[in-house]
Order: sequence, then structure tokens, then C-alpha cells
Amino acid sequence: MAGKGKFVFAGLLILAAVVYLIISNTGSTAHYFLTIEELRAMGDRAIGRNLTVSGAVLGDSIVYDPTIPQVTFTIVQIPADPKEVERAGGLAAVLKAAVNDPDAPSLEVVYNNAKPDLLRHESQAIIRGRLGEDGRFYADEVLLKCPTRYEEAVPDQTEGL
Amino acid sequence: MLAEIGTLTVGLALATALYAAVAAFLSLRRRDLRWAESARNSVLATAGLLGLALLLLLVAFLTDHFEVRYVANHSNRTLPLYLKISALWAGQEGSLLLWSFLQALFAALTLAPFSTLSRFAKEREKDRGERVRVIFLTLITAFFTGVTLFLSNPFVRLELVPADGLGLNPLLRHPGMIFHPPTLYLGYVGLAVPFAYAMAALITGEVEGWTRAVRRWTLAAWLFLGLGLLLGARWAYDVLGWGGYWAWDPVENAGLMPWLTATALLHGATMQEERRGFRIWNFLLVSFSFVLVLFGTFTTRSGMIQSVHAFARSNLGPYFLTAIGLTLVGSLALVFHRRRLLEEKRPSEDLLSREGLFTLTLILFVVLTGSVLVGSVLPTLTEALTGRRFEATPDWFDRVTGPQFAVLTLLLALCPVAGRRKLEARRVVPALMGGAIGVGLAALSGFTRPLALLGFALTGMALGTALVEIVRDVLARSRREGESLLTALVVLVDRNRRKYGGYVVHLGVVLILVGVIGTRMYPLEQNISLVAGDLTQVGRYTIVFEELRQDPPASDRLSTRAIVSVYRDGAYWVTLQPRLDQYANSDQTVTTPALRAGLREDLYLVLTGWSVDGAAATFKVFVNPLASFLWLGGLIFLAGGALAFWPSSAGLRLTVPQARRRALWNTLGLLAGVAVLVAAGVAMWGPGHGATAQPSGRPLPGQPAPDFTLTLLDGSTFSLSGARGQVVVLNFWASWCPPCAAESADLQAVWSEYQEKGVMFVGVAYKDEEAAVRDFLTQHGQTYPVGLDPTGRIAGLYGITGVPETFIVDADGRVARFYIGPVTAEQLRVVLDGLLR
Repeated sequence: MAGKGKFVFAGLLILAAVVYLIISNTGSTAHYFLTIEELRAMGDRAIGRNLTVSGAVLGDSIVYDPTIPQVTFTIVQIPADPKEVERAGGLAAVLKAAVNDPDAPSLEVVYNNAKPDLLRHESQAIIRGRLGEDGRFYADEVLLKCPTRYEEAVPDQTEGL
Repeated sequence: MLAEIGTLTVGLALATALYAAVAAFLSLRRRDLRWAESARNSVLATAGLLGLALLLLLVAFLTDHFEVRYVANHSNRTLPLYLKISALWAGQEGSLLLWSFLQALFAALTLAPFSTLSRFAKEREKDRGERVRVIFLTLITAFFTGVTLFLSNPFVRLELVPADGLGLNPLLRHPGMIFHPPTLYLGYVGLAVPFAYAMAALITGEVEGWTRAVRRWTLAAWLFLGLGLLLGARWAYDVLGWGGYWAWDPVENAGLMPWLTATALLHGATMQEERRGFRIWNFLLVSFSFVLVLFGTFTTRSGMIQSVHAFARSNLGPYFLTAIGLTLVGSLALVFHRRRLLEEKRPSEDLLSREGLFTLTLILFVVLTGSVLVGSVLPTLTEALTGRRFEATPDWFDRVTGPQFAVLTLLLALCPVAGRRKLEARRVVPALMGGAIGVGLAALSGFTRPLALLGFALTGMALGTALVEIVRDVLARSRREGESLLTALVVLVDRNRRKYGGYVVHLGVVLILVGVIGTRMYPLEQNISLVAGDLTQVGRYTIVFEELRQDPPASDRLSTRAIVSVYRDGAYWVTLQPRLDQYANSDQTVTTPALRAGLREDLYLVLTGWSVDGAAATFKVFVNPLASFLWLGGLIFLAGGALAFWPSSAGLRLTVPQARRRALWNTLGLLAGVAVLVAAGVAMWGPGHGATAQPSGRPLPGQPAPDFTLTLLDGSTFSLSGARGQVVVLNFWASWCPPCAAESADLQAVWSEYQEKGVMFVGVAYKDEEAAVRDFLTQHGQTYPVGLDPTGRIAGLYGITGVPETFIVDADGRVARFYIGPVTAEQLRVVLDGLLR
């Protein structure tokens, strides 16, 4: 049907335009999403690129200077693959194991902003930013897992009054 | 005991749900209505049983039954009642139980009321549709109930009963967070009903009337979903303190996607009911909507998609994925199977006709939803396709969806004025005028970035079209019927609630877009560090940090407030009190931002910390342009939706008492709706949010010092204007104020040094008695002139909020500096030296 044809064409055009938007932005604005191990494996190639890293927060390492403001903390390796997390016993178990493992690959994070409320020991952090020449990760955004989602698996996280 | 009964109840509910599906199926197979009756009763029983289970859980919360693990995890003895109720859906298990209950309840609500069931067997036999719907809805209920019972049971018992529960995270104590999950669920679960109607239509072959039959359900579900999204955004804005409201997180997207396809469905259904086709579209859209609902709950609960909102447990993932797969494949297969029935031989219209533009709109909605989906699963997708994992940042989403939203706004402006056959140029004129006005207003207000101007042009166009259409209709009717404009408007709105509800919804959406443009394109965020009494400039605002105050300690929480006065364009505007609470038993802090909303922009202040000695505090300041338009648009959106939903009696033949009852309901509904909107408005723009107002502010540095005359203790009079030409140090103090005693030596010392240089020192005793004042002066050896201000009138002129405060006025009568709190000799010397030079 010649009539329908122009709609199909218009639809394909729209689809093509959006697919282009997706692909071009994935190349430019999307962040490489890495675990700490993968980040280390990249070596110097990782420096300066827009990256997203996830890890478990070590509570003792949190240092906050409100006058700058700047908060620095260390995160340790947790696996990215959900199946691996499942095999290890769930996210809560993985987080606990990670923070208690002295040999786990770690990464020091520098975040020039107010200390996020949810930044505490054993929380899962998703950090967006760049790796600096000094090996520290300079964060633009720090996202922390909503604590109710841990429930009894990590009871400390749900404590209120 | 309670836990076991709860589990049993859920188990029974699962059984009745499955039985209902089987009975309905058998009634169709064997053409036996007794099975149909049985199925109906089972549906009601399921709803009742799940309701009972929910009630039992509620009782467990209210009576502190900590042997139930779910209660122990989300409640404690001291939790206020309303929070114990909301804790019901705070966690995975409880929220799934609530979902299951709602699913069963809605299934029951779709049953034809027993009183109107036809007694004639033949007619009832024919209504196979209801029984097919029952099969679908009960199977869905059974799925969720089964998942709850076997994988996520809220009634699990703890071996060791704790003395007290863990309590609710403080971040959740906000009306937004309390109502956000239930409203979202009402939306999600509600979308199962149109889906069931659609599948029943395909199976029975009655493919035309289903959209009309299910219209109110679709609209209601869509409205609640939208409300849930708005509540989540408002909560994030009010509580989280990052100044924003939408982060394109996968779980947020999970709520947005079915809302987008449901929006498309509502529009497609309108077209179908006007006999303009779009049959296949609507079947596909409703299937996508329900599949996205399942995907949404999968995203939140399975932990398989990286999101800060997702639950950490992941054993539910495979079951949801299976359900999603089955539903998607099944519904597509059904549509394909019935394609002959659905095909319509219609002459195809021009691309720029109303139908054509509609089709483009629907295509765009689907593609937009698809791109949000791609972004949400980008890590998994890119890893599978390229071996490298990429994450879609908010920036990615803005860039990918922005252009699509822009084109949708353009279509919003053009669709209402497109003719049946083509789009006439002259009908586009109001849109173009609206666009021009939009650009003009934006540019005048200072929003001059090209992309922002484009956005305002498009929103202006959409507004222009909508307003002109309404005006045209009102004028036409008024002329034709001889009614006044107002009457014509009221009658038109009353008779065409759906159409005008739609206009109002569009208006709301456009306002939300205006808010999005302002907040996203002109973000202003600054970190500032201030000593008490210090001030700084952020945009048009002068921010004065007055002091840090700690509230008396409560249980194991320490609450610190900063008192900050804000001046806009030099004039006192508001006092904000952002808070930071520290909890003793964890290193978690809770910052509560202080916020003052204005029409043009919001000022948003977060207390981020203070120096070790407490002398300096650090803040984050956000200026959010046009943020109020987001919430205003949201309220208008809801009002429009409610208007479209409200059933009208036009076309019904009613007896007088029936008509009167209808009018009563209508009036009550209108009053209730207005009350809700007003309450929401007050909650958002009214008092609170850490904002208070002092009677007046202080004169800022550079502003003239308010003139006054003061009777001094020695009987003479001091007038500030009389001291023009001299530098004056004005010190507000009181004998009952310990810091005033501390600074008195410094003041006296500097007075002695600078007296011969022509500097005047004047002490104003604030709300004090002469005897006490004289005692103090003798005790501390002050020799500079002092006067009494027993009523605090002079202090009021200077807007002080406590003592001591010191103002240094230069020779021209302008304030050079002020100090809140005690001042040191060094500080005074530095300023005075500078002024005397």
C-alpha cells in the first residue's frame, strides 16, 4: 500500500535517528563500567577516561573535610556479574566478604563535594569520574545503595532510631 | 501463631487463585455456568484472603510482633504509628504482598456486580470475555502470590525473638516516601486490567470494544503511575539534598517506561473509539505496558540490574524473566494469530493529517520507551555485543531522550490543529505565535542559550495551540448559544470532560517541561564556607551565616542547625535552617536541606559540615531555575487527569432524585479534588522546608545604616545621622548575655585607642534594665556612651537576632561590616584602620 509506505518510511527514519543517538552517545558520554580489578588491568589506558567503578566502602577509610569540601574513602573489589554475586551468596554476603578481605583490590576515591549521607561501612558505591595520574579516582558523582534494600542481610544499614 | 496463620492465609489465597483460573477455564470449555459462579466466588475469596494476610501483617507491626522477621527488620517499639503502617511496604516481602493483594482486589473489581448479572443464561453464556479476563487476572495474581509465598514470605519467623526491631531508616520518614510505593503499585497493578481485557478481546474475537470498556481503568492506572513518579521526584528533591529530582536510574526508568506506553495507549484508544483504527497499535501498546510493568518489578527486585534503588536479593530474577518472556511471546502470538480480524482496510491519510501525526506520535513514544530501556540495560547489552561494559549516565539519557521529547512537544503543538486530511498552514499560526512569545519571555528572563530557547519555543507552541483551541471553542459556543463566556466554558468542560481533561493534562505536561528546561540547563551549584557573621554572594542572593545551633539531644541523635539569612537583590528575603543529624550508633548522617521556592527559581541550601572548632560552617547552595513549574505542572497534570476520569451524566436519562444524587457526588468530588490540590500546594510552597521569616533583615554592607536616636545614660541624646562624618561602632549587647561580657574588654580597649581618631562607640543595651546596665558598665569599666533600648525597637531596625552584634558604620552613614556574635579587638582594628585611611 503506497499510503502505508510513507509511515513505514517515517517510522524507520525516526528509528534510525534514535539508534544513531544511542550509538554515538554510548561512544562518547556513556561511561566504561568497571570493577576495580578491571580498572587496574587497564593500567595507564584508564587514566583520564570517563569511567564508572563500583565497589564496597571501607568505613574506616572515610575522611571528610567540610571546609573544602572533600571526602576521601577507599572502596574494595566486588564482582559485577550478577550470577557471580548470586553464587557467592547474594550482594550482602559479597559486600561483607569484600570489606573483610585484606587482599582485595582497592581504590582510593577523592570526591570534592559534601559527604553523602549514605556513605558508610559496607555500602555499595557506584562512582563516576576519572582515574588520576596518582592512581586515585577523582569522582564527579557518588551513588550509594538505598539502605532498605539490604534488609536483614546487612542489618547495620537499615538502622534508624 | 500469627506468623503461621499469615503464611497459611497466603497459601490459601494462592490455591483459590489457581482454582479460579481452572474453574473459569472449565466454564468456557464445558459451557457450564456453575463453574463460572465458582470462579467468581474464588476471585472474591482470593481478594479477601490476601486482604486478611495484609491485615495480619499490619497487626503484627502495630503490636510489635518482633518474632516476625519482616517486622523486626523494619520497625521498632518507638516508631510512630503512621510509620509502622508505611513500614508495611518498606521492604521486599511486604511490598510483594501488597502487590498481590491489589492484583486480587482489582480482579474482583472487574467482575460484573452480582446484582446486574443477567438472569438469562444465554446472555451470560455469551459473556465469555469476563471469564477469559478472570483467567488472566487470576493467573497473574497466582504468580505474584506464589512468588510471595515461596520466595519472599513476609511471615517468616525468627528463631530468636529480638527485644526490639531495627527501625525504619530516617530517610524514609517523608510523606513522599510513604505514599510513593502504594501509588506506584496502584498504577502498575492497574495496568494488568487493560491487558486482561485486551487478551480476552483477542481470544473471544470481540476486538473492537475493549478499549472503551476498560477506559477508566487505563486512565486511573496511568494517573496513579504518574502520581507515583511525581511523588518520588518530589521526595528526592525535598530530602536527598543533591538539588535534583530525577537521576535516570534504572528503577526510576522502570516506572517511566510503562507510563510512556500507557500514555500512547490512551491516545491510541481515543482514536480507536472514534473509529479511526489503531487496533493493532493498541493491542501492542497494552502488551508492552504490562510487560514493562513486569520488567519494572524485575528491575527493582531481582538485583540483576545495577541500581542504587534495587533490592539486594536476586533469587527472584529468573522467575520474573520467565514471566516477562511468556507474556511478551504469548501476547505477540495472540495478536499475530488474530491479525486477519484486526486488519482494517482504510485509506491511508497524509502524513500531516491528524491520523498521520498521531501515528508519528505513537511511533515516537515507543521508540522513546525503547531508548530508555536500552539505557537501563546498557551495561548488559554492551557487554553482550562488544565485550566491554558501558554505563548510561544521566548525561547520556538527556542527550538521547532530549531530542525525542522535543519532537513530541512539537507534535503536541500540531496534533490538535491537524485536520482530517491535512494540516492547514493557517491553523498553525497560534502555535507559531505561542512559540514566539515563549522565546521572547525566555530571552527577557535571561534564558538565552540556544538550546533553552528552542525548548521554550516548543513549549510555547504547545501552550499556544491548546489555549487558542479552548478560546475558539468557548467563543464559538458562546456566540451560538448566546451564553456568556464563562458559562460557555463551564458547559463545554462539563460536557467534554475527556477532551478538556486532556487539554489540562497537556498544559500540566508543558509546564513540567518548562521546569525541566530551567533546572537542567541552568544549574547553579556552589560550595561555600563561612564564619559566623560572614556573608557571601551567590547570584542575586546574599547569604549570611548567623550561627550554628544544636538541638537538645534526642535519644541517639544529635541535630545541628545552621541559621542562615538570605537577602535577594539586597533586601531581606528569608531565613533558612538546614539541618544535619548525626546518629550515634552508625556513621550515617542525614542532611535535611532548607528550601525556599520562588516563581523564578528555588533557593536550596544544604548544611554539609563545620570546622572542628565550630567556627566555620560549609554549605552547598543550589539555585534551581523554574523548579516550581515542575510541581505546578504536576498538580495541573493530576487535576486534568481527574477531570478526564470523572464520569459525566451527559447522555444518560436520569430521574430527578438520581440527577440530584449525581450532582451531589459531583460537587463533593470537586470539593475533595480542590482540597487535595490546595493541600499539596500548601505542602510544597507553604511554610516549612526549613524556611522562616524574621520581621526584618540587617542592613547589608554598603547599605545605609538605619537612623535612630538613643537616650544615653548620662541624659544626652545620640543620633546616628548627627554622627555623619564620623565612623561609628554600634554594639548591641545586654547585661544578661555572657558573650557580651567576654567581648567588653576588647571593645573598651579599641575605644580607648581610637577615640582620639574620631571614632564613635555607642552601646545599645537590648531589652535590659538601667540598674543592671550600670552595674555591668562599672564592673567591666566601659567608658563609651551607652543607651537603653528596652523595647528592642532600635535592635529591630537593625534586624538583629540575638546579642551581641556589632555594626560598623562608615563616615557616609553606610554599614561597612557587621559581626554576629562577639567581636575581637583585632577584627575591629583592621576594619577601623581601613575606614580611617
